Amino acid sequence: METADLSHHISRRFNEDLERVRNKVLTMGGMVEQQLANAVMALIEGDSNLGVQVARDDFKVNGMEVSIDEECQKILATRAPAAGDLRVIVSIIKTITDLERIGDEGEKIGYIASRLATMERPADKYREIKHLGRIVSEMVHQALDAFARMDAEAALRVARQDRVVDEEYESIQRQCITFMMEDPRSIRRALDVMWVVRALERVGDHAKNICEYVYYMVYGKDIRHTRLEDVERDLRDRASGV
Amino acid sequence: MNSGTTAFVYVTVRILVALALGAAAGWFAGSVSAGISATFALYLAWNLWQLRELWYWLQHRSVADPPDAVGLWGDVVAQVVRLHRRKRFHKERLTRLFRELRRSTAAMPDGVVMLDPQDEIVWFNRKAGELLALSRRADLGLRIDNLVRQPDFVQYLRSGQYSLPVIVRVDSHAERYVAFQLISYGEDQRLLMLRDVTREVRLEQMRKDFVANASHELRSPLTVVAGYLETFGADPGLGELAAPVAEMRRQTDRMTRIIEDLLELSRFEANDAPIQGAPIDVAGMAALLRKDVLARPTHPRQVEVSIESTAGLLGDEAMVQSAFSNLVDNAAKYTPPEGSMLIRWWTDEEGGHFSVRDTGPGISSAHIPRLTERFYRVDPGRSRETGGSGLGLAIVKHALHRHGAHLEIDSSEGRGSTFTCHFPLERVIERRVAATG
Repeated sequence: METADLSHHISRRFNEDLERVRNKVLTMGGMVEQQLANAVMALIEGDSNLGVQVARDDFKVNGMEVSIDEECQKILATRAPAAGDLRVIVSIIKTITDLERIGDEGEKIGYIASRLATMERPADKYREIKHLGRIVSEMVHQALDAFARMDAEAALRVARQDRVVDEEYESIQRQCITFMMEDPRSIRRALDVMWVVRALERVGDHAKNICEYVYYMVYGKDIRHTRLEDVERDLRDRASGV
Repeated sequence: MNSGTTAFVYVTVRILVALALGAAAGWFAGSVSAGISATFALYLAWNLWQLRELWYWLQHRSVADPPDAVGLWGDVVAQVVRLHRRKRFHKERLTRLFRELRRSTAAMPDGVVMLDPQDEIVWFNRKAGELLALSRRADLGLRIDNLVRQPDFVQYLRSGQYSLPVIVRVDSHAERYVAFQLISYGEDQRLLMLRDVTREVRLEQMRKDFVANASHELRSPLTVVAGYLETFGADPGLGELAAPVAEMRRQTDRMTRIIEDLLELSRFEANDAPIQGAPIDVAGMAALLRKDVLARPTHPRQVEVSIESTAGLLGDEAMVQSAFSNLVDNAAKYTPPEGSMLIRWWTDEEGGHFSVRDTGPGISSAHIPRLTERFYRVDPGRSRETGGSGLGLAIVKHALHRHGAHLEIDSSEGRGSTFTCHFPLERVIERRVAATG
């Protein structure tokens, strides 16, 4: 198991530092997941209080990012990690940036939700947003699971989901355009909905980024801007090589 | 052992006889020593053969039959067989027991996760794997809070207070709720019990929704009825109908009050999250409450307000106002005109305290634990007479609960009652100079 690598240190303290910072990332991840779920729920249920609360609670996520960042810097400065440990630290620093961005998108959705709550709700009760929200939340959840389990294969599976999100985004966009053309009075609401959908699509991208860091952390190979098919082939070669 | 000794005697006798025979044969052949040596050599060869047989059998004992040995060797073989059989019996029994234990925990309707002191997963049963989407292969040895990341759960795990379970929505979309409870056992070992409470949570939610909706739906027809009754009541030509109409108006007023209280209660209940809130000027609120009491047609002769702290309270003003006014109203209702009331606000190292003391009839200790239940009446006739809805103290309890505060009731029959709200320290804030006094 890859996680066992973390326990092979001469210095037990270093080990503990690394474990602690990793745990903190996942705690932050839990907060972000909850924020995102609450934001989408606020929109669908038309609960303006919940939306405001999500927007207000974003500072907690930001605080976590700063504190994890500091801890990583301290580890880099005092322990000078190498090889796998260095990769873990680098991945953590990148992961928390993306998590913080997901938190920001949640905040944005929360704001819009509290505004839309006062308006008349569409007949479909934001069914598309609910659907997209589910896919995206699931992606974030699985990306963090892959991070916790150091499971590069699972990370790749999640990254592949990003295409589904993009397609969904396209189709909702087209639908919104139709609504706006049919009934100009709905333009304002449709624009707000577009903002939310856009934010969710961005969350999917951030989840994909996290998956790429997980792959990097486990195999030491940067797969950003690489076609997923190539990465999968690479993974198969690894498997057959072992 | 007796048989052992006899076996040894036999062996010794047999060797001696063999030696004698060998010596005799040697004497006939011309050399006694050669005969004895030959006997020894034969005996040694026989022993080696037996030893080899035994060794071979022990090596392949799962497939081969025990060797047919005689004498002492036969004894040894028999004892090994017996030992072996007994060991196999115990082993089988233990495996069976272990397998049954594992099967029974796996079949348990509740999830179980074993945790070590570092919160790492040691073992979990099938139900737990199902509820938390754990995989047996990869997740053993991982920290539970890395996989179950819901902030409420993480907080519970780190709080060190496990007496009450925590209910967490594990899947944000499928609406699945799980109650987690940690149980310590052995040295630093912990069991995490999981129970699927989705049904209970949903039922509770349905109950709350039902009360809120029903009250809301009842309000509109009642408003119409009350409106007409008011018009009729104003008509001077009613004659003998005047008294019934007046009674009907009183009853509709009471019904309106009950519905208002039900709606208020369901609003407080709708959300369980603690309130952030804004600063509240308790001294000002107490002064207003006193004025309200004095404005009643009959009121206790003496109503005192004692503000012993300049501190304010952090909370939802409407909720706190509702709680305090319910307490003050009760006291005013039950205190006779010649009695007295005292409203107090003070702070200490434990937090802030708001109390209402009256010299009313008091409540017997048997009723106190149930006093905050909805529609619970100490004296049904009496409280209807005073026009209470029966929900006042339930509202107080819920409003305080949302502020992390609790209600203390101190009363005995004939000596009056004291209702005290205890607020935690983090709810108490020092009042700014700007606040009006």
